[in-house]
Amino acid sequence: MSKSSAARSRYNSLQDRIFDTLNIIFMLCLVVVTLYPFLNMLAVSLNDANDAVRGGIHVLPRMLTWENYEYVFGEATIFHSMFISGARAVIGTIVSVFCTAMLAYTVSRQEFVLKKFVTIAFIMTMYFSGGLIPNYLLIRDLGMLNTFEVYIIPGLIGVFNMIVIRSFIEGLPEGILESARIDGAGEFITFIRVVLPLTVPALATVSLFVAVGQWNSWFDVFLYNSSNIDLSTLQYELMKILQTTNTSNSSQSAADAFAGAQGGVTAVTPASIRATMTIVASVPIIIVYPFLQKYFVKGMTVGGVKG
Amino acid sequence: MEKHTEPVIQTSRGAVTAQTSGLQLFLKRLVQQKVLVLMSVPFLLWLFVFKYVPLWGWLTAFQNFKPHKSFSEQKWVGFDQFKILFSDESFYRILRNTFVMSSIKLVLGFVTAITLAILLNELRNIIFKRVVQTISYLPHFISWVVAASIVTTVLSSEGIINVLFMKLGLIDGPVLWLGKGEYFWGILGITEVWKDVGWNTIIYLAAMSTIDPSQYEAAEIDGANRFQRIWSITLPGLKPVIVILLIMNLGHILEAGFEPQYLLGNGMTADYSDNLEIFVLKWGMEQSNFSLATAAGMFKTVVSFVFLVSANTIAKKMGEARLY
Amino acid sequence: MGNKKLITIAMSLFLASSALAGCSGGNNSKNSGAPASDAPASSEEAVSTEPVTFTYYNFQSRGKDVMASETTIGKKLQEQTGVDFKLEYLVGEADTKAGVMIASGDYPDLIAPEDQIDKLMDAEAFIPLDELIEEHGPNIKRVYGPYFDKFRHTDGKMYILPYSANQGYIGDPNISQGAFWMQRSVLKEFGYPQLKTLDEYFDLIRQYKAKYPQVDGKDTIGFAVFAPADTFYNVQNAAMHLAGFPNDGGVTIDLETHEAKVVAGTDNIQKPWIKKLSEINAEGLFDAESFVMNKDQFMAKVTSGRLLGYFAYNWQIGEATNNLKAADIDEKRYAPLPIVYSADIKDQYVDPPAFVNNRGVGISVDAKDPVRLIKYIDNLLQEENQILVQWGEKDVTYSVDENGRYFLNEEQQKNRDDTNFKLSYGFQYFEYGWPRYGSNSLLTDGNSYGVGNQPEVAAAGFTEGDKTLLEAFGATTFSDYFSDPDDRPWYPAWSINLGQGTPEQIFSQKSDDLQKKYLPKMILESPSSFDALWNEYMGEFNKLDKATYEATMTQKVQDRIAGKW
Repeated sequence: MSKSSAARSRYNSLQDRIFDTLNIIFMLCLVVVTLYPFLNMLAVSLNDANDAVRGGIHVLPRMLTWENYEYVFGEATIFHSMFISGARAVIGTIVSVFCTAMLAYTVSRQEFVLKKFVTIAFIMTMYFSGGLIPNYLLIRDLGMLNTFEVYIIPGLIGVFNMIVIRSFIEGLPEGILESARIDGAGEFITFIRVVLPLTVPALATVSLFVAVGQWNSWFDVFLYNSSNIDLSTLQYELMKILQTTNTSNSSQSAADAFAGAQGGVTAVTPASIRATMTIVASVPIIIVYPFLQKYFVKGMTVGGVKG
Repeated sequence: MEKHTEPVIQTSRGAVTAQTSGLQLFLKRLVQQKVLVLMSVPFLLWLFVFKYVPLWGWLTAFQNFKPHKSFSEQKWVGFDQFKILFSDESFYRILRNTFVMSSIKLVLGFVTAITLAILLNELRNIIFKRVVQTISYLPHFISWVVAASIVTTVLSSEGIINVLFMKLGLIDGPVLWLGKGEYFWGILGITEVWKDVGWNTIIYLAAMSTIDPSQYEAAEIDGANRFQRIWSITLPGLKPVIVILLIMNLGHILEAGFEPQYLLGNGMTADYSDNLEIFVLKWGMEQSNFSLATAAGMFKTVVSFVFLVSANTIAKKMGEARLY
Repeated sequence: MGNKKLITIAMSLFLASSALAGCSGGNNSKNSGAPASDAPASSEEAVSTEPVTFTYYNFQSRGKDVMASETTIGKKLQEQTGVDFKLEYLVGEADTKAGVMIASGDYPDLIAPEDQIDKLMDAEAFIPLDELIEEHGPNIKRVYGPYFDKFRHTDGKMYILPYSANQGYIGDPNISQGAFWMQRSVLKEFGYPQLKTLDEYFDLIRQYKAKYPQVDGKDTIGFAVFAPADTFYNVQNAAMHLAGFPNDGGVTIDLETHEAKVVAGTDNIQKPWIKKLSEINAEGLFDAESFVMNKDQFMAKVTSGRLLGYFAYNWQIGEATNNLKAADIDEKRYAPLPIVYSADIKDQYVDPPAFVNNRGVGISVDAKDPVRLIKYIDNLLQEENQILVQWGEKDVTYSVDENGRYFLNEEQQKNRDDTNFKLSYGFQYFEYGWPRYGSNSLLTDGNSYGVGNQPEVAAAGFTEGDKTLLEAFGATTFSDYFSDPDDRPWYPAWSINLGQGTPEQIFSQKSDDLQKKYLPKMILESPSSFDALWNEYMGEFNKLDKATYEATMTQKVQDRIAGKW
């Protein structure tokens, strides 16, 4: 018996090794395919814009220059808009994730009398929208135009996120919540002291979704705050730069029938600015991600509780 | 609903008088659960204001809505907007395209993301695992304009795909991949996977982190091999998340997106690439027919609900996790 | 059970609030509509140069948001009038922005609506300018007087001041519009022949490609049209030009009968062009990627030296031509050629003097002080200020020679080409997007209004290669060897407003869709299947209501000729 199990384990280890090797090869291919666009953007952003028009730049710049970055950061508004984006991401994520988790907890409670009503009322909203104009009029009538709150309040609860957290709570080993309650903790205390720490992987996931959404958002700026430069976000400012470059490079369009000034030789082109803004906007997220990753470590939660 | 809550209440609260009416019972429980109520009702109010109040906009689907006119001045046109939608000869083709493209996205998206999450989970080197994971989700942050440009380059007549396929003898000469409607769905599906597979694994990786490691240890002692462990521990551990996500996404079956179709499509592939959103853009927004866009939105909502309810019912019947 | 009740309550609340929201949405614009028209009379005496700031919104992304007074030009205009502007430009989707602006009824003071004009006119966002101009606009009258009838709205009033009121006329020395372009090395190789017909054009490309099948180790590309989905009109418009018509937008208009004919599906205009492309494609001279490549890829081809000829509008690929010019390899640059079907056709690539009546600037119903605004505009239209917005200040941004001719010295030219300078000085904000002389205007001293149209400026910009080429063609400028445009008082027919959702508009959309589907197919599949595909295309096309469209266009063209725009 011991012999056969040894044989099997050796067989397993060979099979395992083949599997591991293939897996690593596959991952390396994946890395190549998914890293390419990013390296390509990086190379284009570091390349002379006029030279980049010729194409053929892959992962290394042909004519190295900082001009594109100088151009983007030459905008006085960029740093302030970065601050606003950061503030949105931090405040928006904390508030939204806390509220979403709290709601998720209530609807995870089997005995909660409003459970089904609340769940359905929220889920339905994922699949309809009154449309752009009614939404705009609502925000206007609530006096939320040109405010910071408009970045936080209308998107306070993400229904998708609520469902994700709920299913994590529901997946917690039975008895944990029960024992907390037997200890005499009220619902709110249970939520804070027991549920939140136990759902860290879900909260980390949801935080990432919310933070990325907040950091990248521009549509609400465009719609609600476009005339208040002090509340402009990074993505919106970058879009402005991009669109300005677009028009100054082809200073005429067919509709203009404008035969006046010719487009000059500019230091930047839309393509180079687009590449630069991709890098500028995504680097902070990429830096943050590894810090969240540690919350995804296998077995952390359950193991921790049991031990 | 009542059925559902009954046993719990009875165990915790002892004998609830059977003669109390339903409403009284409801109110009584409401009071008993006041903390839970306080923790959720404010959000219900929020929901009502921000999500349900704007629904008055749906009424505009029955109007020839002009945004500068007050509501009472709008011209009511009954179901005219829906007629424009449903009577257009291309509508059914567009509906087909929308269904097919989002189904491809759904199936491919699920299969690839789950597979990748499992494979990542099987990597032994934690550093390598983290690096791969971080890199794999990078394309998510590339805008569709850039992504489409990369795809067009890769598929161009001198692009890597044509060169590779010609070297392998699969094709005789360069193929105009983006010029053939039949290829469009496949190209779109692969592109979407490439762009979002890494990002989509995040949720599964998080779900895996809740699987009790002792289960793996036990299985190992029992002599289960890699695939058996994946099959009997990892996948079942992911099942609730998978089922819930599947139900939610089935509700989005008419949302195939519009940017990639718009950027990768052209006249030659329009029969395959035009979808509902492009239709609405062409006949609605560009011609400032807001009512048509609303009508299309309502149609989508109805279809969404049908899919959502069916999927949820099926999940319920099969005893799986469900959405509500 | 409880659910049902709650839902009922929710529903009734929702209905109540929706009614409220609906009312408040509409009321706003109504309120703002009334007082605006009274304003001129009441505030007559109040007009002064006391500082005031207005808002300006442009539905095109021409610049960054800025205070006008932060630019040199804006500052000077502020000194003259006391008026400053908060300049805002579109970021994001124009349709969305317009929809929201209209729904909320909150308009900026001055709006340049660009392609959103129909929506804004429909929403009654502008005030009529007639009385204001009558009372406060001597310069407006001088500049726009001859054109007044061309931009009256259907109610007979004027709402916007268009950009294109030409004062006198001077043509563009360069070809900035569409043409058949050919790489100069091809022309040089064969001793700068005077090409006239499409056959000659392709023949030269054929010969050159046979001689030089490869450039820098890669296959030579014969001919491309820049025609992915969003610039597909390039392949449509080329046929019009080949037949000797200017770009009237999908129709040709007979010079005698003034009858509008749709280009699509014509045996004499569209068919020979598509058929020819199908033939050269079979020969391997046509770039099949014409219909799928994006702008970056097309520009990479243009700058690679491998592409021998193409059809595109020059402004579509400014970065590529800039790159080639900067690289200073003349042979890789392209020359525009006035190619037609047969030698007896007079080419019409150069736009006739055009009056585009649906692009301009209007005062919104929310404007705080229309009189101050109209006075600002009137002041802007003084000749010295029109010189300021185009040329800038004498000896600073332009120079004047002993004959009174304006020119740019080297440094001035360099500043001109520098976007950052154009932004800080204000050219970027003021040379367009405001009431102005038309781009082809002449100043009273005989200089060109637009800097680019001044022959001295154009000539200074010519490279040695340009000069060689022009000499070989016996011309002084590029537009010189193109025919002069015929008089077309309706031009451009593409600015005719067909209305939203009308049968004409639906025809135009559906006909475009059909062409996008069939034309590439006919070109890329083997010539043997051409006739079958053409018949299939015509079968589909004949289902559309072409007659109504043509009748309307003909009627509108005739209206324009009669002075009714």
